[in-house]
Amino acid sequence: MKFAIVEFPGSNCDHDAYHAVRHVLGQQAELVWHKDSDLRGADAVVLPGGFSYGDYLRTGAIARFSPVMGRVREFADAGGPVIGICNGFQVLLEAGLLDGALLRNRRLKFLCRHVHVRVEQTDTPFSCGAAAGQVLRLPIAHGEGSYHAGPETVDALEANRQVVFRYCDAEGTATDAANPNGSLRRIAGVCNRRRNVVGLMPHPERACESALGSEDGRVVLESVVASMAATGAA
Amino acid sequence: MRARVFVTLKPSVFDPQGRTIVEALGSMGYGAVRDVRQGKYFELDVDAETPVAARTLVAEVADRLLANPVIESYRVEVDEHESRLPPVDDGGARNVRVVDDR
Repeated sequence: MKFAIVEFPGSNCDHDAYHAVRHVLGQQAELVWHKDSDLRGADAVVLPGGFSYGDYLRTGAIARFSPVMGRVREFADAGGPVIGICNGFQVLLEAGLLDGALLRNRRLKFLCRHVHVRVEQTDTPFSCGAAAGQVLRLPIAHGEGSYHAGPETVDALEANRQVVFRYCDAEGTATDAANPNGSLRRIAGVCNRRRNVVGLMPHPERACESALGSEDGRVVLESVVASMAATGAA
Repeated sequence: MRARVFVTLKPSVFDPQGRTIVEALGSMGYGAVRDVRQGKYFELDVDAETPVAARTLVAEVADRLLANPVIESYRVEVDEHESRLPPVDDGGARNVRVVDDR
């Protein structure tokens, strides 16, 4: 299958995503510039991490108006799988493709370390290869990753099982101590109502090889390959 | 016309920067400052026929880009007598004040 990896000015995990998809998973991958107006027939779209537009105004606020985001919205509206990682998650939230917003980390520090997240839902294209409750050890690298949503929104997210990843300790227990950034209800990643658009703050693409300290991120990207194969689109 | 937009976090949203500032002020002896909320301030130079039109335009801009309605609210002020643009030569019919910021 083919992944489109969108590059905004200031993206810096675009090549990490490309490497993971192309060289680790052995899939096709193409880098798509933010001014491009087509997704090159991709089967899945990755919005990578970084600091699009220097994080000016708010993280992801300018990138969401890039020409390519119109295509990403159409792709998502048609049911295509889209994943936003870190800054890509911030872009998806600003674009309204996912619900909520990301605030400055509660203790204001830029956090760059490995954390644990628990897979809460396995019926999304980016978690279907994982076991329910599986604990993944993934790196985070962000200053603005504290998930926030209004009370009605977050209740709806829970009711519709849209919280896909939640911060937890190594044993999978969701404790406040394991919440690195003060995210509401320890939310690390969510999906849309249709479940084809997923965003998360941790970086699965940086955790696909043992040399990088963890291979736990592979299941996220392998899930979409498996789901594509299952639907015959690959 | 000059418009000003003040963007602030909604009262229900925790502001860690404001908290850090108020704690710093406390340690400086300014315990009388009970709370600080940090926000953003924008000045916009707008081509508009009337203050109402300017306000409508700027509110749209604030809704779409300057503020994120999930976490922020905003206030718009329009000053029809203030502009960074050169004055319109209309025989002095309008009271246009020009701010020279060079």
